[in-house]
Amino acid sequence: MTRKEYLVKQKEMGRHLLGVFPAQYPKEILWAMNIVPAEIWDPPLEITLANAHLQPTICSVVKLGMELILQRKCDILDGFLFPHTCDSIQNLASVINDYMKTEKPCYFFYHPKAPYGAAGRDFYRNHLKELIGSLEKQFGPLDPDTLKQRIHQGQKISALLTELYDLRAQGELNITNEEFYSMIRHGEYLFPDDFIPELEAFLSQNKGQGIKGQARVVLSGVLPNPPEILTLLDDLGVRVAHDDFLIGSRRLLVPANDLDDPFENLTESYFAMPPCSTKGSSIGERAEYLFRLVDATGAKGVIFNVVKFCEPEWFDIPNLKEELKKKGISTLSLDTELNQGLSGQMVTRVEAFVEMIG
Amino acid sequence: MTYFAGIDVGSLTTEVVILDKDDRMVSYAISATGANVTEAVEHTLGQALSRAGLARDRLNFIVATGYGRITIPFADKKITEISCHAMGAHHLFPDTETVIDIGGQDSKVIRIDGEGKVIDFAMNDKCAAGTGRFLEVMAGTFQVPIDDFGALSLKSKREIPISSICTVFAESEVISLIARNEPAEDIIRGLHRSVVSRVWGMVQTVGVPGPVTMSGGVAKNPGVVILLEEHLKKPIHIHTEPQIIGALGAALFAKKHFLRD
Ligand code: SF4
Repeated sequence: MTRKEYLVKQKEMGRHLLGVFPAQYPKEILWAMNIVPAEIWDPPLEITLANAHLQPTICSVVKLGMELILQRKCDILDGFLFPHTCDSIQNLASVINDYMKTEKPCYFFYHPKAPYGAAGRDFYRNHLKELIGSLEKQFGPLDPDTLKQRIHQGQKISALLTELYDLRAQGELNITNEEFYSMIRHGEYLFPDDFIPELEAFLSQNKGQGIKGQARVVLSGVLPNPPEILTLLDDLGVRVAHDDFLIGSRRLLVPANDLDDPFENLTESYFAMPPCSTKGSSIGERAEYLFRLVDATGAKGVIFNVVKFCEPEWFDIPNLKEELKKKGISTLSLDTELNQGLSGQMVTRVEAFVEMIG
Repeated sequence: MTYFAGIDVGSLTTEVVILDKDDRMVSYAISATGANVTEAVEHTLGQALSRAGLARDRLNFIVATGYGRITIPFADKKITEISCHAMGAHHLFPDTETVIDIGGQDSKVIRIDGEGKVIDFAMNDKCAAGTGRFLEVMAGTFQVPIDDFGALSLKSKREIPISSICTVFAESEVISLIARNEPAEDIIRGLHRSVVSRVWGMVQTVGVPGPVTMSGGVAKNPGVVILLEEHLKKPIHIHTEPQIIGALGAALFAKKHFLRD
């Protein structure tokens, strides 16, 4: 079933649909209110209308999101949620809500940026309640028991994804790079009742011996686009051993906690997430995280596969590369468009990097 | 006797180098790539073989490199130009630590180890700025043969800085300067500076270079070489035929793979 067919079906089942922009937000609250978050990262569209509203130096995540709205492909949605990920998303929210005055309700979710303190935790906890308050006006009251149940499902998903990542890191997953990301990205729109069994089935079918002797790399960036980067690595016999993607480990691998209070639980989860450029994490923390991934997987290098014009990421990269270099870890940076394939030169750079670490 | 060939298909020229088992360069050939890569490869390989007095079946292993490497079906192996330039430069100048290759459609700065293996690289492949193509377009604007362009820049007494990075905007800037009767050599010097500044930025991203070798056609341009040497504060190694370094590296890899297989 395609993503669109799935969302139509969810709507027919009586669920609400919220278009959610990147990247971090409390999914569990939406699930508990019978809302399916349909994340908007890289819709396969040609950008025509959005160029009239945005300057050329805006990343294509934002441009494609706006294009999706302008092409009226969001009619099925009941509203939008804009997490405060970066200035570009923040301004997109303003353009859509304040200037274009979309008829769909818009919600905003602000999360604290590092360095974190007690005030940040208080803010986050209160902000979760504020978000619930505003959603309740449209979607009805939140049942606290359902929220606990959805938090439990969120933890189950994190545990399954952690297992999947661990198996991959140990070379015990018999799938291609492309298959791995195609699977985890189903979580961008599947309701947990469907995503959990799908993940379980995927794990049981693919656990096993991966191909031995492959060169291993860690990927960093926002998301593994264009998809050709994964097929190129597959063709070159290179295994992505781990990732530091905003769409991937930075928000999916949340350590479990057993706090009973749902707000404490969600707050704890947010602050326990791996470091991220969009949360203002320091270079030291980010470099440390990358070292850990490289060490744990025996990867030979790190490829920064970064969306062109993504400011939070590109600001960090020169320093991160410097830190990795000091430890003798090879790096490559690519600035890519989401859906425009790889140029011949880009392929050459990746191939040369593979020859270099091989 | 065993022979090995390296074929480097670049955007502007195609080069072939034939080596014998003792790494002696038996022959080489260079020709324009033009619109038909297959024809260019056949023609250049044919030339190199006839200069070596060899039939095609005497080649024991062929490595293809360059952007057109994927279009050579008979190559035994394909290796990127980055690895090949590194290997070729190391073979010619064993103390090389950095290779600067300013090619037709991209430029590269490659850091290598004591065995000619790549340890880091940077590549400008987004636009013509900082590439041979930029100088070619500008030489066209001045109606000066590209081979004389660099020498002309050396006659400058008062360099005129060019502020536009983009080739198209730089061309309009140059046209306005010509209209103001600014001396051609001063503008041309500024254009060379613009290419070198871009390349120097890449040099710095891969770290402070030790001995440097330049490869690619632009290495024959004294205007670029002098400005780069100013930055480096030392002379650059330049082979008499810097264009064949990629093909030479490919031929060296051909031998290595033949012996290994
Ligand atoms: S790609 Fe970067 S700039 Fe664009 S929305 Fe994501 S974080 Fe913001």
